Amino acid sequence: MELVSVKDLTKTYSKHNVVDHVSFDLHPGKCVALLGPNGAGKTTTLRMLAGFIQPTSGTISFNEDTLSKDFRKYVGYLPQHPSFYPWISGEEFLHYAGQLAGLTKHEVSDRSEKLLQLVHLTDAGKKRIGKYSGGMKQRLGIAQALIHQPKLIMLDEPVSSLDPIGRREVLNLIRELKKDATVLFSTHILNDAEEVSEEILLMNDGKLIEQGPISEIRGMQQTVTIRLAFEKEPKFIHEKLKEIDSVYQVTEQNGTFDVSVHDLNAARDTIFSRVQEEGWELSLFEITSGTLEDIFMKAVNK
Amino acid sequence: MQWTVILKKELTENWRNFKWLWVPIVFILISIMDLISTYYMPIIIESAGGLPDGTVIDIPMPSPSEAMLMSFSQLNMIGILILTVISMGTISGEIKSGVYELILAKPVKYTNYVTGKFFSYWLLMMVSLLLGLLASWYYTNLLFGELALSQMFIAALFYACWLTLVIAIVILYNTWFKSPGLIAFLSIITVIILTVMTNIFGHVLGWSPAKITEYISIYLHTGDLDIEIWFSAIVALLLSLACILFAIVSLRNRAID
Repeated sequence: MELVSVKDLTKTYSKHNVVDHVSFDLHPGKCVALLGPNGAGKTTTLRMLAGFIQPTSGTISFNEDTLSKDFRKYVGYLPQHPSFYPWISGEEFLHYAGQLAGLTKHEVSDRSEKLLQLVHLTDAGKKRIGKYSGGMKQRLGIAQALIHQPKLIMLDEPVSSLDPIGRREVLNLIRELKKDATVLFSTHILNDAEEVSEEILLMNDGKLIEQGPISEIRGMQQTVTIRLAFEKEPKFIHEKLKEIDSVYQVTEQNGTFDVSVHDLNAARDTIFSRVQEEGWELSLFEITSGTLEDIFMKAVNK
Repeated sequence: MQWTVILKKELTENWRNFKWLWVPIVFILISIMDLISTYYMPIIIESAGGLPDGTVIDIPMPSPSEAMLMSFSQLNMIGILILTVISMGTISGEIKSGVYELILAKPVKYTNYVTGKFFSYWLLMMVSLLLGLLASWYYTNLLFGELALSQMFIAALFYACWLTLVIAIVILYNTWFKSPGLIAFLSIITVIILTVMTNIFGHVLGWSPAKITEYISIYLHTGDLDIEIWFSAIVALLLSLACILFAIVSLRNRAID
């Protein structure tokens, strides 16, 4: 049973379809990445799902509640650049957000204590938000989105403005979150999507152009590319690679070889046996094709 | 209740940014400024020593009701300016900074959001106005003669209706525009247009809220409450209500970018 079902969702701003007949379902306990280049309509889609922009046409239905139109109580939302009141402390803001969502004073202090712990802000909880760093604000943003235990958590570009450490923390947090709720997050960084999500929705120019489990989408790829580099380039390596069965193309760029193959397993076995037999000093072996980047580029350029 | 949560947050905010401190103080200062300078004018002129010997200085002392009216006329200019400036960013600022998006993602009713904000500024206005007029009343009694406290209170309550409308106008503009400066500017322009129109077409616009100050002056002089002051006050409150309702609808239909 799906948690949310979206049908023909469309949003038109001055005759331009920013979101164009998008339909998908979200299932409980899954982490879904909403991918797409900038301006693809990701944020608008999330805002409609968050319930504070009305779609021009189409429907969003929560299986919890088909009657009421206001489903904001089931949704936790973190905007791309969350901003807070600088004069309020992190803890106070969580109290405010929780009470707005209908929690009692008692519930909210319980909950905010746990959340501050979850996002590692226990010590900073009493400090005014004006003194917070960007990463701390992002984490507080996640905490405020979770305060009312929503069924669906939506994060708009949660990691794109963070440094590598902050990014790692937030990705780990997302992994935690999907234990209790459905997570939908938008990103244009494909690695992040691959790392934590099971399913992807790929948007371009307002349209949903690809959707499904990552493994399935990857399986639709016809060919695979292996990227190779060597500490010391063996003689005639270009020719030797080309002789391998199922290899049909080898390109070289700055000492890195992109080897396109039909059968990944056979090609991989051959390459490794050659590495042993002929003592190739391999420094890089990477399967680059079938990654989201490939799918992404193909789908967007279609 | 959601409404009280919002109101409490607004009150805390205005407490922490010292509005609850400086607005009442400024209202007190502008209320008593003219009284004191008028009373001491002969001494001020004398100590300045600019007049030749033999000049007779004869400045008539204002009556108590005239003295209080000086406070009202100051409040009507500087007071309105201050009210506009302190509330010009209450909604637009939140939309601009983006915190509005976080608030809106919670199941917040637009009605609670708008009226909570309106009421917090209304309270600040009431407290400042009453303190300012109390100070003015105190100095009037001290320097110019007796005026009943009840008369001051009744005048203050009618005047509050006019200021209520001012706040409601600022709140309405808050839901239309993003720039606080523009909101303050348009609010003041609106008040000026209302006042000028009322002055020009006074004979047909007897019920105009901008007439309240004029009726208050009659009331302070004669002690009689005309039926027209009631009309003006009721129209002011009805218009305020209309502004607030309109603000709620505008905010609900507003697209955030």
